[in-house]
Amino acid sequence: MNSETVIETVHLCKRYGATLALDNLDLRIGRGAIHAIVGANGAGKSTLFRILLGFLPPTSGQARILGRDCQALTPDDRGRIGFVNEEHTLPAWMRVSAVIDMQRRHYPRWNPKAFDGVIGHYNVRREQKVSQLSRGERAGLNLALALAQSPELLVLDEPTLGLDVVAKRAFLESLLYSNASDTCTVIYCSHQMDEVERVAENLIILERGQLKNMSAPDDFCARVSHWIADIPFQGPPPERVPGLLQVQRIDGLHHYLVLDQNQDFAEFLRSCGARSMRSMPVSLDRAVNGFLAKNHAAPVAA
Amino acid sequence: MSNLFFAELQRFRHWALLALLVHLAVLGFLARMVDPLQQPLFVYQVVAAVYGLAGLLLGLYQMGGYRKPNTWLNLLHRPVPHFQIVHALAGAAMLLLAIAVLLPLLIVITAQSTLTARVVDLRHWGLPLAAWTIACICYLAAACAMLAPRRLALFALVPISVLLFSKTSGIWALLLQSLVLVWLGAMLAALFKPDLSAPPRFALGEWLLALPLQFGVWLLLTLLTLLYQTGWMLLGTHPLNSTPPVGGYVEASRADGADLLLAGLAVSAHPDAGLWREQVRLSEVYGTQVQIEDFASRQQLTNPMPMEFDDDDRRTRFIFSHDDLRFHGVTLADGRRAGVLGVGGEHAAFDLAPLPLGASALATAHAVYSYDSESSQIHPRILLPAGETLAALPTPAGESMTVLSDRALYFFDARNLANAQGVLDPRTRLGLPAPIGSLDRVDLIELLDGHLVSLVYGRGSIDGPGEAWQQLLMVDAGGHVTTVARRALTPDFPLWLRHYDWWLSPAMHQSRRALAGLFAEPEPLYERGPAPRPASMQMLAAALMLASLLSALWLSARQGLAGPRRWLWVAACGVVGLPALIGLRLMHLDREAPEPL
Repeated sequence: MNSETVIETVHLCKRYGATLALDNLDLRIGRGAIHAIVGANGAGKSTLFRILLGFLPPTSGQARILGRDCQALTPDDRGRIGFVNEEHTLPAWMRVSAVIDMQRRHYPRWNPKAFDGVIGHYNVRREQKVSQLSRGERAGLNLALALAQSPELLVLDEPTLGLDVVAKRAFLESLLYSNASDTCTVIYCSHQMDEVERVAENLIILERGQLKNMSAPDDFCARVSHWIADIPFQGPPPERVPGLLQVQRIDGLHHYLVLDQNQDFAEFLRSCGARSMRSMPVSLDRAVNGFLAKNHAAPVAA
Repeated sequence: MSNLFFAELQRFRHWALLALLVHLAVLGFLARMVDPLQQPLFVYQVVAAVYGLAGLLLGLYQMGGYRKPNTWLNLLHRPVPHFQIVHALAGAAMLLLAIAVLLPLLIVITAQSTLTARVVDLRHWGLPLAAWTIACICYLAAACAMLAPRRLALFALVPISVLLFSKTSGIWALLLQSLVLVWLGAMLAALFKPDLSAPPRFALGEWLLALPLQFGVWLLLTLLTLLYQTGWMLLGTHPLNSTPPVGGYVEASRADGADLLLAGLAVSAHPDAGLWREQVRLSEVYGTQVQIEDFASRQQLTNPMPMEFDDDDRRTRFIFSHDDLRFHGVTLADGRRAGVLGVGGEHAAFDLAPLPLGASALATAHAVYSYDSESSQIHPRILLPAGETLAALPTPAGESMTVLSDRALYFFDARNLANAQGVLDPRTRLGLPAPIGSLDRVDLIELLDGHLVSLVYGRGSIDGPGEAWQQLLMVDAGGHVTTVARRALTPDFPLWLRHYDWWLSPAMHQSRRALAGLFAEPEPLYERGPAPRPASMQMLAAALMLASLLSALWLSARQGLAGPRRWLWVAACGVVGLPALIGLRLMHLDREAPEPL
């Protein structure tokens, strides 16, 4: 692992009884930029973070963060890694000023400007108790605390979960207006593709504990295409459709969402009796959802 | 670290303040009603349980809140060593317990010492410390239970049990509590790690938990006999819960005195046995048994019973002080000081702390005293030979009074005891043939030239080791003792059940005894003779240990243990047996494999 790699896993496996949460995961994330990790529930994202932070041992394989074995993190290593979880767990009984003071003492590279830059987006008074803050304000405070630690790596685990649209926008703006991506590597885990599209420079897709994609979001979008074909009769059986992610029949037209298909797919459709067809670009949301829904469990009758 | 400490103080400050006020109010009320420092042991045990419960609840609540996955991650994922975090949390909790438990007790004892004539000894200042230590022990145990892997949580509470069966007292009790506190503190530090589902990472930490785990498993296994006995009772054939088996120990312990003497005489080959049978039918049978469970040790924190007695004629209460070994009078009417009471007219100090027994009798381990209200003096009446311990107070036996010690049964002239003054000499001494700890009951009749005495031995043998028998002795007026009969009493419980807690794990059985006796003074009244284990039970215990050792070899390999950690467990299974094997299974889960095993 070189110094430009902040996270590296090699054949990483984690088993919970009969469930394989991480399946031979080989992941290498370089220093800098904002990396989004997406995946359906149970894809192994939280398990991965818990292993990376040393809170869970792997079943097999290796996991390193900032060059250190995850099972041997030192307090100094932890000082270099910021973590914001979806619950924004802060001591509810403490005043905001006391929380800030505590964190300031714990983190030697405390950056008050970074803190003020983020907390300015929120109406948080220092004499307030944490329990008196709204969920959005707690999220903002949490982000401000994490960025003020001047981390080399910042992990945001579904930070906008449960926030209303206003709070969500405030959170994203405060993240984007900070110079987080300039000073540290950000791992942003979310189910909200609009957020990912907005903030991420690298898209990592996990599915059933396996790495399925690692590329710029636009590159991934380019891999997925939406074809609309006019096929007078029954379309080809799904198993014959190359790269099929999703098929729908709407108003007599067949809609195919396919992965990694070029103009040859038009020939395929024509060979299946299509009278006309056209290809359309897809949004990141559609592309990722189609990708993740491909292997999603469904009733037999569906 | 200090920020976490003060944050935790802030978190519970209102609760601590409320607890302090409530505690102070309750103690203040009790102090107005009774003397809180002169309560029987049971009261102190109940109060200690309340303090322990307070610590337990604090530990469960505090660590229960932190062990939620995200909260735990937020707490530990910071550039502060984990041991500093746990020190901050536990230190704050123990300071809060000091505010809620120790401080009110100190205030009340100080008030009693300065504002009242009641006795406050040096030992009483140890009570707040003991109460606080107990609360802290329970707090740490609960915190450990919360942070241990779920399957081990219950066993983190096991160190508390040491306090329950320990026989130590005074400063030694405080020392024992301190050791348990240190043990639990180290255990908490070992469990305070990011991965809560795993056992402690280092061997020392693992064994800090593994030893209570094995001991706890053994305790739970021994409790299984209760289930067995409950079923036995439901069937209606349990010896203690139905008509006891004929010729057994339970039958003898419950028998009428005359019937017991006759049963002993029935197996006697003595030429006068027939004559004595007739006399038993015509005579009154007298009895005695061990009446005293415990004497007060000098400066022990609690009391076996209130160390005080009332002189109703003088309207005075005399409270014993361990500091100067004398009673201090307090008027019942207005609580003023009313003189000092010692031994004899000079009011000399007692040699040991006496227990007030009955209206005017006081007893130490070596002497019986009587209190004379008219002269307001205490005089020794019976002095036992050096090295003997009083087991029962004078008990009427016709024209005699019997006094039982741990070595002998003494016969005194009843008239002298009632009328004369001064120390009495025994008329006859009957040496006991076996240790007092096994003696269940003494029955006797008066003969023309002495006494016919029946001794039933076998205390603790119903569901434990040791033999039970009845011994008939005749002691004549000159003190000459003749063995009349010895009748073996059959065990009422099956052999395997009587030795169950031993063959399950001889090592744990011995450990429990050692822990109970750690720092404790010798207890002559509980001394029992050797109880050899039958060969069959020894073989059973050995077979279990061998089976555990072999099973541990297989299990530890399956769990992926290696090196010294593995061999230490294997050795423990060989020495401790089944409890260690179950402990190994609980401590380490099977090795995870990428593919299902």
